[in-house]
Amino acid sequence: MGKLPSTLLRRPSLAGYLPSTSPALPHHTPTTAGGLLSTPQKKAAAAGQVRHATFVPRSRRPYQFTQLVQLSDGSTFTVRTTSPLALYRSAKDSRNHILWQPTEKSLRNVEVDEAGKLAAFRERYGSSWDLDAPTTAAGADAPGAGAAAPGAGDAAAASKEGGEKGPAVEKKGAAEEKGDKKQVDAKEAKPAAAQEPAEAAASADPFDSLVDLISTYASEDKNTKGGLSAKDQARKEKKKK
Amino acid sequence: MASLRGLSRPARSLPLSQLSRQTYTAGSIRCASSQADLSDLEDSTLTAPQLGPDEKKEFRPWKRAADRKVRLPSGRYQFHPPKYNRGPLHPVQSPPASDPIARDFVPGPFNMPRLKQTYQSTIASDLMTLAYTHVPPGTPQKESPARLRGWDGSSPYHKNRALRGPRGSAVLPLIERDVTFNNIPEITEVTISTYVPAAIKDPDHLLVARSVVLSLTGTTPDITKTKSNVAQWGIKIGDRAGVKSTVYGNAAYEFLDRCVHLVFPRIKDWRGIRATTGDRAGNLAFGLSPDEVKLFPEVEANYWMYPAKMLPGCKVFIKTSATSDRQARLLLQSFGVPFYGDV
Repeated sequence: MGKLPSTLLRRPSLAGYLPSTSPALPHHTPTTAGGLLSTPQKKAAAAGQVRHATFVPRSRRPYQFTQLVQLSDGSTFTVRTTSPLALYRSAKDSRNHILWQPTEKSLRNVEVDEAGKLAAFRERYGSSWDLDAPTTAAGADAPGAGAAAPGAGDAAAASKEGGEKGPAVEKKGAAEEKGDKKQVDAKEAKPAAAQEPAEAAASADPFDSLVDLISTYASEDKNTKGGLSAKDQARKEKKKK
Repeated sequence: MASLRGLSRPARSLPLSQLSRQTYTAGSIRCASSQADLSDLEDSTLTAPQLGPDEKKEFRPWKRAADRKVRLPSGRYQFHPPKYNRGPLHPVQSPPASDPIARDFVPGPFNMPRLKQTYQSTIASDLMTLAYTHVPPGTPQKESPARLRGWDGSSPYHKNRALRGPRGSAVLPLIERDVTFNNIPEITEVTISTYVPAAIKDPDHLLVARSVVLSLTGTTPDITKTKSNVAQWGIKIGDRAGVKSTVYGNAAYEFLDRCVHLVFPRIKDWRGIRATTGDRAGNLAFGLSPDEVKLFPEVEANYWMYPAKMLPGCKVFIKTSATSDRQARLLLQSFGVPFYGDV
């Protein structure tokens, strides 16, 4: 009884249930097709087609732990990591970094100068920034450095938010009035109009008005370090070369 | 019938109809149904006769197991999936990869990465809304200019010639696709690679680099080889001088999350990633120096294990599904990656 042509492979699910292919009846084999397959070939076919075998690799996975990470603001989350520590407490992360929290005032690099000593020093000897200043600004400016000292930090912050891009926080704090009067640099002269409202707001909290708050978001070049801004840094480097 | 002559004697004695059934070619099998001979169908368990009540009573595998004096070898209880896939028609099939006993089974996921969750709940919809450009319905579609140059037809041989590529380069740059509901950029994979030329002289460097990349990514890294000969640098083609590893999916999101929230803030005087990075196809990259690599919590956890001078820096390539750098930058900015400088 001819069941299946022996050249075709069987469906895998039926492999166990099918009767053996070896002919029970003698008249099964002697066809033109079946005559080509000898017994060893049949056995090989039953063992499987070896030519197209693809290796199934066991994936090599280093052990990973589930770690609880606690950020500096107390928030926690789990991560999969190779570190065996169960809990990772971070001291410095994006939650207490000025670059990610630009409106957080406590992170701002503000000079604490209640007695005005730093300002007095700067008044006498000038600051290193003055050395870089292009023309006149050698530390001869008496006016009001001491007076500016108490509110220096806030004023600096406000003036920065008011659109001042170039100079640093401390520099502005020290040389606030000076910068306003002279405005030697053309770059500095440009945002003069923007500086007037900033001056007005300097006495009060810098974020009192909503406009100021929004302007912190809009300011393109955030001077987060209190040092040189990116642009000034690049300019300085270029000058060095 | 000439073919009959080749048959054996007992076969020749059969009636002709039975013989001819065997010699059907593939084309003529279709006609077999018209003959309505159901005996040609395969046997099935459904057609097998059902067990009688006596036979059912006799079938007691538990009794046989209880009567057994010696334990079966443990191998009889275990199923080992086949080592090789031998094609869909082979009787022995390996279980699907989702089956815990499969050879290629990977357990997990064990957590939902924070960044991925943020992406799905907030960032994706925000990006889509931000990048929305309204096109009034009925606006005719703009025809995109042909990017491949044709032939002017001045020669009869120009007929059926393939179009030429752009002038100046063999590569056709990617066209930026609009961000739509079904085309929101996302993180595809993150590759971390290290080039350690010192490993040519001292292979220990390679070992350290390997273990560092392994601890960063949680995957077994591949060793890369030098591509070029430079005598001055002491490298030649085929030197084993680098390590790389690629993470996909959840692992990629977690790596990025770790970078953005734990590592970048701890780098001194770090201004962000240079905004000009990118390969014009939406894949951004940045580098980490050895000092920055050791800020990773995984490296920090057993920092004493690594020889400090052998600690490698690495390059991180973030592959996104965005089709332009600005879209990719938008995506990474929404993840909290700061960029600096002009674009």
